[in-house]
Amino acid sequence: MDNTLIDKTKPKAELLPHGKPARKRTWDHEGRWGLLMASPYILHFIVFVAGPLAASLYFSFSDYDMLNPPEWTGLDNFRRMADDPMFWRSLWNTLYFTVLFVPLQTFLALVLAVALNQRLKGLKWFRMAHFIPVISSWTVILYVADAVFNPRFGLANMLLQKLGLAGQGWLQDPKLTIPLLVMIAVWKGIGYIMVIYLAGLQSVPGDLYEASEIDGAGALRKFRYITIPLISPTTFLVLIMSTISTFQAFEQIYVLTGRGDISAAGGPNHSSLVLMLYLYREGFTFMRMGYASAIAWVLFMILFLLTLIQLRGQKKWVHYE
Amino acid sequence: MKKRKGLYSWLAALLLVTVFASGCSGGGQQDGGAASPPKEEDGGKQVEILLGYYSSDSSDTKMKELIDRFEEQHPNIKVKTQSAPYGQFYQKLDTQIAAGQAPDVWLSDGVYVMKYAQRGAAKDLTDWIVRDLKAEEYYGLDFNKDAEGRYWGVPQGIQVGVLFYNKDLFDKAGVDYPSEDWTWEDLKATAAKLTVDAAGKTAEDAGFDPASVNQFGLTFFSITEGWFSVMKSYGGGVLDEKAENSIVNTPENKQAFEWMVDGMQRGIITDPVDLKSFQSNTAVFPSGSAAMRIGIYARVQAANEAGLNYDVTLLPKGPDGKRVSPVIANSWVINQKSSDEKAEAAWEWIKYWATEDEVQKQWTELGEAVPVKKSVAQSDVFLKAGEQPANRKAFLDSLEFAQTLDNNAVWEEWVGKFNENAERAFLGDATIDQALSDADAAVQAVLDDFYKK
Repeated sequence: MDNTLIDKTKPKAELLPHGKPARKRTWDHEGRWGLLMASPYILHFIVFVAGPLAASLYFSFSDYDMLNPPEWTGLDNFRRMADDPMFWRSLWNTLYFTVLFVPLQTFLALVLAVALNQRLKGLKWFRMAHFIPVISSWTVILYVADAVFNPRFGLANMLLQKLGLAGQGWLQDPKLTIPLLVMIAVWKGIGYIMVIYLAGLQSVPGDLYEASEIDGAGALRKFRYITIPLISPTTFLVLIMSTISTFQAFEQIYVLTGRGDISAAGGPNHSSLVLMLYLYREGFTFMRMGYASAIAWVLFMILFLLTLIQLRGQKKWVHYE
Repeated sequence: MKKRKGLYSWLAALLLVTVFASGCSGGGQQDGGAASPPKEEDGGKQVEILLGYYSSDSSDTKMKELIDRFEEQHPNIKVKTQSAPYGQFYQKLDTQIAAGQAPDVWLSDGVYVMKYAQRGAAKDLTDWIVRDLKAEEYYGLDFNKDAEGRYWGVPQGIQVGVLFYNKDLFDKAGVDYPSEDWTWEDLKATAAKLTVDAAGKTAEDAGFDPASVNQFGLTFFSITEGWFSVMKSYGGGVLDEKAENSIVNTPENKQAFEWMVDGMQRGIITDPVDLKSFQSNTAVFPSGSAAMRIGIYARVQAANEAGLNYDVTLLPKGPDGKRVSPVIANSWVINQKSSDEKAEAAWEWIKYWATEDEVQKQWTELGEAVPVKKSVAQSDVFLKAGEQPANRKAFLDSLEFAQTLDNNAVWEEWVGKFNENAERAFLGDATIDQALSDADAAVQAVLDDFYKK
């Protein structure tokens, strides 16, 4: 083991003018100044990242109501979680959200990026129009969504009525909450993913398309056999990013279902209670910070596993040039 | 070694900065007090207290005026303030308590006093209250008394529930205004006449569509301005007297629920889904979309701003003549961890607030709460504070049969659990029996999690 490490560094060290071995180099003049210059960031990391991380790990094994010092309770929080139907419900809701959201947004964003990667008149305007929801805050989105989906005054029910169909409860209907929240989130997030895809598309060399055209490939075939494989690294990035972001979804559901009232958020009937919302409520409203920390660590483990699976899986379908 | 000098001096400098920075946030309060020159003339030692309260723009200005006046009267006490809008205030307060940096005295929502008391963050004020305040001169001292007879706060202002009614809507329908003798059934009978659907039919007409109501007879939500007074006046309730056990699953509560569910299914009372189509739960009445509401005193402001022609009266009685109003006594609470010196200075502030007529008058004029001191509440300062509502006396009369909202350390959580199950009954997703028995189990589980540990 040691030998391989030394073997790798040795050739480099030999090239240095003063000829000192690499191991000592870490603490020589230059190395120390490097560390010095990085120290504000290192300190920041210790105080604001590593510290809280360690604290929350400790809290997850304790009973902590924030007003009194934490009491060590071992695995109690994790046992509680296993028996807590609300935890499983919110985990299920989160997975349901992810399974609907990630493929839908990825696919639609790709289609949109391909469509807007042509030479069209007013192209910039189209791109901008799709990007506007991205930069809007969720509170603004709430008003837009309410204008459409308000069961009483909304556009959607007005249209249904015109067509002679029954009005829906939309966000008030437990069966529709998650699909509707997914739709709204896709609408808001698609512009961002589209921009990432546009960048990916523009790096696909044009001569490949030309070559395939000469061989008689149609648009569909070019898309299937050239575009998709060549932008697979972008797709991989997008998948990981959006999976993580759905597991962290908080603000959108808090705003859209709770309208600023944490006790109402996640409804109706827990149909939109996702993990982050549940965790926040347990910790900050019901003052079970220990339990909330435990949920956060489980959430981290799930994300870690999912990312690991995606990393493994990428070998099969991601092509790097 | 020489070469490392740079490293060490750099680290030392960093350490200094960190210590300095943490010193600023931690010890700032004390430093500020020491910096101001002590005033020798009164012979007292300078004390600085941190006062925390939630506020709106208008109440913030008034509060600052009252604090200036307090400092003039108590030259040895310096008051530093910390204020924020309601939601942020509690978020910050809870983390401050955790860090041991909470205000010495703070304004607590009435329903949270027991949370701070039972979790050891609030100071027991029993001795000081007995020593300095004459109980008969104030409304609501008992609202912060626990089952063992200890007091944990002194009311800053009182919110009590009454029945608001929109006179214009009554006139338009040609219906008599609510009377003080009403039962909940009487209310519903009148409310049916005031419930109008999109086609202009009332809930009494044939062909009325409860799914497209434009004007509700009664708006109603959650505990305070919803189910609490109905259940209590039917002889039911949610928690026992110690507020440690659920009493949800009773025939009285079932009767109360039958009244509520029937009203919602007929479209007379706003159900949880109806409420979602409004800006907020409290927006229904001021917008003129409901003829009546159960409302606390603070709702007067929104109704006046909306320019409604309205008045208030006592809440209806239950079938056996029992009447209960919900009451919340937002209160001053002293930090359990404050030094004796600071706690005593904080108590001076509370005494100033409760006993001084001038303070009580000025706060009353702001119109946010019913004043705590009876002499002021019963004077024109409160009773004639504005043109509407004319019958302000109803608020004072309601205090005679007012009950607190079964406050305890886990109030927010059990209310949430109860609401969840009640909503299933309100929306017809569960039978009343099922909802009550589920609510009973869920509420008890929340209570046991805290009290039986």
